[in-house]
Amino acid sequence: MNENKVLHSVAALFDTPDKIINAARKVKDAGYTMFDVNTSYPVHGMDKAMGLGQSKIGYVTLFFGFAGAVFIFLFMGWSMAINYPYIVGGKPFFPYQAFIPITFEVTVLCGSIATVVGMLAVFFNLPFLSHPIHDSNYIKEVSVDKFGVVIEAEDPLFDKNKVVEFLKNLGAGKIEFIYEPEKQAIKILQPKFIVFLAVVAALTSFSTYFTLNKLMYIVPFNWMDNQKKSNPQSETNFFYDGYAMRTPVEGTVARGFMPYPFHEQALPSEPLANPTLPTKQILKIGQEKFLTFCSPCHGNYAEGVSRLMGQFPPGPTLHSAKIIGYSDGMIYNIITNGQNAMPSYAYQIPREQRWAIIDYIRVLQRAQNPKPSDFQAIKELNKESGKNVVN
Amino acid sequence: MNIDYTKELALVEGNPRLADIDEIITRPLTQPPTRKFYIALSISSTALLIGAYSLWLTLYYGIGMWGNNIPVGWAFDITNFVFWIGIGHAGTLISAILFLLRQRWRTGIARFAEGMTIFAVMTAGIFPVIHLGRPWLAGYLIPYPNQHLLWPNFVSPLLWDVFAVSTYFTVSLMFWYMGLIPDFAILRDKTVDKIKKTIYSIFSLGWRHSNRHWRHYEKTYMIMAGLATPLVLSVHTIVSFDFAVSLIPGWHTTIFPPYFVAGAIYSGFAMVMTVLIFVRKVFDMENIITLNHLERMAKVMLLTGSLVAYAYLMEFFIAWYSQVPAEQYDFWARVVGPYRWAWYFMISCNALIPQLIWFKKVRRSVVVLFVISICANIGMWFERFVIIVQSLSRDYLPSSWHMFTPTLVDFGVLTGSFGLFFTLVLLFAKTMPVISIVETKSVLEGSQPSVHGGSHHE
Amino acid sequence: MSSTEIGYIRKELPEKIKTIGLTLFVVGTALGIIGFLIDPQRASLSYLVTFMFLVSIGVGSLFLVALEYAVGADWSTPFRRISEFLAAVIPFLIILVIPLLFNLKYIFPWTHKSIVDSSVMLRGKTPYLNVPFFIIRSIGIFLVWWVFYYFIIRNSRKQDTTKDQYLTKKNINISSGFIPVFGLSISAIAFDWMMSLEPNWFSTIFGVYYFSGTVWCALAALTLIVILLNEHGYLHSKIKSEHYYTLGLLMFAFTVFWAYIAFSQYLLIWYADLPDETIWFMHRWVGGWKVVSLAIVFTHFIFPFFYLLSYNVKMQAKKLKFIAIWILCAHFLDLYWLVMPGMSTNGYQYSFSWMDLVFPVAAVGLIILIFKSLSHKYNLLPIGDPKLQRGLDFHL
Repeated sequence: MNENKVLHSVAALFDTPDKIINAARKVKDAGYTMFDVNTSYPVHGMDKAMGLGQSKIGYVTLFFGFAGAVFIFLFMGWSMAINYPYIVGGKPFFPYQAFIPITFEVTVLCGSIATVVGMLAVFFNLPFLSHPIHDSNYIKEVSVDKFGVVIEAEDPLFDKNKVVEFLKNLGAGKIEFIYEPEKQAIKILQPKFIVFLAVVAALTSFSTYFTLNKLMYIVPFNWMDNQKKSNPQSETNFFYDGYAMRTPVEGTVARGFMPYPFHEQALPSEPLANPTLPTKQILKIGQEKFLTFCSPCHGNYAEGVSRLMGQFPPGPTLHSAKIIGYSDGMIYNIITNGQNAMPSYAYQIPREQRWAIIDYIRVLQRAQNPKPSDFQAIKELNKESGKNVVN
Repeated sequence: MNIDYTKELALVEGNPRLADIDEIITRPLTQPPTRKFYIALSISSTALLIGAYSLWLTLYYGIGMWGNNIPVGWAFDITNFVFWIGIGHAGTLISAILFLLRQRWRTGIARFAEGMTIFAVMTAGIFPVIHLGRPWLAGYLIPYPNQHLLWPNFVSPLLWDVFAVSTYFTVSLMFWYMGLIPDFAILRDKTVDKIKKTIYSIFSLGWRHSNRHWRHYEKTYMIMAGLATPLVLSVHTIVSFDFAVSLIPGWHTTIFPPYFVAGAIYSGFAMVMTVLIFVRKVFDMENIITLNHLERMAKVMLLTGSLVAYAYLMEFFIAWYSQVPAEQYDFWARVVGPYRWAWYFMISCNALIPQLIWFKKVRRSVVVLFVISICANIGMWFERFVIIVQSLSRDYLPSSWHMFTPTLVDFGVLTGSFGLFFTLVLLFAKTMPVISIVETKSVLEGSQPSVHGGSHHE
Repeated sequence: MSSTEIGYIRKELPEKIKTIGLTLFVVGTALGIIGFLIDPQRASLSYLVTFMFLVSIGVGSLFLVALEYAVGADWSTPFRRISEFLAAVIPFLIILVIPLLFNLKYIFPWTHKSIVDSSVMLRGKTPYLNVPFFIIRSIGIFLVWWVFYYFIIRNSRKQDTTKDQYLTKKNINISSGFIPVFGLSISAIAFDWMMSLEPNWFSTIFGVYYFSGTVWCALAALTLIVILLNEHGYLHSKIKSEHYYTLGLLMFAFTVFWAYIAFSQYLLIWYADLPDETIWFMHRWVGGWKVVSLAIVFTHFIFPFFYLLSYNVKMQAKKLKFIAIWILCAHFLDLYWLVMPGMSTNGYQYSFSWMDLVFPVAAVGLIILIFKSLSHKYNLLPIGDPKLQRGLDFHL
């Protein structure tokens, strides 16, 4: 009746552990190599009876455990001492003593994962749900209280009748033929399966969306976002006029907002004095700001050479006698209020920096019109530093 | 009672046959849950809901909902963490250390204890994470190349904890699952229900009871036991390092590692005992989880309880002997200070009450053992409370001393941890074989070839 | 069960062993006495190391005996008698301690009034660290051990003839009582005789540290003697490599246990970095002691660990013998390392002395003599023990 099926193996059931040990030994002695013993629990002495040696799985543990240990130890050393060295608790950069606990843990982790996964996946080739032995009557009996031997058809010595005879002689209680499972054409595209996939996809997407975005979503610590305060430029019903921003009380001056008394006057009514001293530091600030704000029109050396290529009226030279004759307060007034085509720079350059720019302009003017004493000073400087500053 | 020392005690009583074992162990899986089961489940899930609500409050409003303050920055959270990690120690101890010591009586209780280990570690794992205050940042504990270009601080014992607890959980889970594979295969071959068969088939990975597999399987089991044994010791050792590497009086003492391990095993065994006394009653497993099992577990509790008592004694003696005033004060404050009630709980439940186990009558009385195991759980919780809260509340500077008062949320989270643990235990007992079918079969009388001396050693 | 039933044939150990033991003992003792006469200070410290070694062997062996009874182990029953013979060192401890008691001033800094008066810490410790109480403690502990030894061993020997199972039950009770007593007393001995050599230093784990070494050493001595006797057919033909394997496994376990305890102590002190505590390690990290400290790590842990890791080593008598001798030496080195660097606290300068090697020779001689004379009187196997057959049938 099983004419079309391919025989996988012949299986025999035995009743007691003694019988199975004896049977295993006899099967081995008869020269079969592709046989197996199935028992629902490990029977002692079976490895010897089947002629199996010591399991070599321990080397897997040893190798992976050791590899994990070396890796994590070196990694910790690298990260704490080389990649981002920092001292913790007064310990040296490479506190190997403190690495021992983690090294140990990683050894165990790598060793045990490698052993279990290696055993199941590599040694046993599991999961293997389509093995012919599954769902046979044989395995159902074995898993309760019987003990079984299977001799596979692939064995070079296999001969169906001989094997049956041989197993019967060993005192087997029941003999079963196990056939290869019929090859079924797997119809992946059958409508039932596609609908199933679609339902699974829809359910998974929905439940993921619901879980992540609705169920588990809490705004963490949101009191920082929703504080009881009014932001600038916003409305409020706290003040009668509805504005959240307030104007200063009349007659008061905010810190750092000293008003300029000569606003929109071409000439200050009273002289202003430069509060800064032309120190190196101030001149540096002045140079920087001059180059940023003034030089586009007045030129890098205030010589009146504009970089704007005629797109904007060029600024005059600042080396004219008129401007050399201006007082510091006059120039300050021009920067602050603007003059002719020059706009006011009051909002772009803070007060101190305006004065620093004036100091720097004075330096540029002096450089164009040096006095003999300046040459003398430079000579002396050169002598001291041993270099030739002005060539 | 006269014992014949020429024979080993029978591990399974009533002389059942191999087929009976399947029957007894899988009974809870095949029968519909009883009323008792539902009552127990509703109690535990109520506790779980209380915990979930408290946890939600904690996450939403922050850990200001707890009673923690300065200087008591660690209180219920870390106490619960250490307590549950401790509970989680018995499982691996039973399955690994007793396996290596060839204590075959472990077969009856190993699977259950392993399951409890996993649930306890899961419960414990919650606490350090919520203790962070910003639990969503827990990922920074893992060394991965992140945008800060920083690595975790490998010198910190708190990071060692991360490695120890996660390794312990992973290894316990693998160990447990590995033991379950052949059992799932037995269930797969037994069941006629199609859905169950699919589930069991998937989890049994197509195991076919082959001796060519058993050969590696047994060796791997041995190796896993060998790895898990030092691992289980290392986990509580590292937990003890969290305290002992610091300079807080009462924390910095060199006996902490073995002392914590002994305490963990003590509390773990107590919890296993508490639960098993229930389970053997509810599921009629008195023949497999025998009185002898309980007696032996009681002996382990006596041993570890006495080790803990030894550690208490050493701490007190060395605190005096060291002549360091802060140490001396701290230990004196335990006895007479504001938290002395906790200390009295701890001493009586951990050091004194287990001494009753010296008496044979006590060891063989299930009711008394149950009471003792409950006491041990209470005592061990208070031990961690004493170590953490009392030591922190009485620091070097008297001006910064501060008492800790737990809030309702604190108690809610504690209740919830019990709820989570027992819910998982109950579900486990109903869905998986709580006793290893394979191991029980292999130690049954007459289950091994007679040339090997009947039922015999692994 | 009679002796014929279990197949034990009693054989007398050769007289040669007695001659060897006697020679070692006499030579060692004579040189030791000379040492005490020349330099009592150095001699008493050398003697202390050997004395602690004998304590390890004696009380460690008694602990193994008690452990076997208390946990109901059967695999070790065939060689319980060997541990019992080794435990016979215990009664001698009371005599052997006398030379030390007369030389306390050379050993312990706290016996000097000037040192104690100069330190607040030490003054506070005087209620515990004073000579009379110290002597009472030590003698008391040795007496308690002796009492337990006497009862356990008497019952065990009586069983050889009576084969009374009740004696096993009785010994289980005595042994269970001994184990807590042992735990406390071994800690007290460790604190008194070794920790107080540097009286300012303290470590709560020190008792456990010494305990781990003690049991390790007693196991090694047991393994060595069992293999030597069994190889020459003095024990039983059924004692085979599987028994050896278990002994090897236990030695391995205690190697790891010692390393665990030693590392815990070191790490906690290293991490906290308190001067009170680190001083003890600093004394062991100066000059040549650095080498000895590293040698301890290697001999006491790294080598035995990797050697005993192998399955084959544990199954082979020859390799186990080698590691047993190694362990005995390593434990001696450990004790030496615990005792000697503390000398500086007592105001002495350490230098190696020939006396360090003399006393162990005498100790080995003494153990051989005790063993020989006991084996003359009693069986090498506890032939009346009900668990013996199970132990002989033991397999992995």
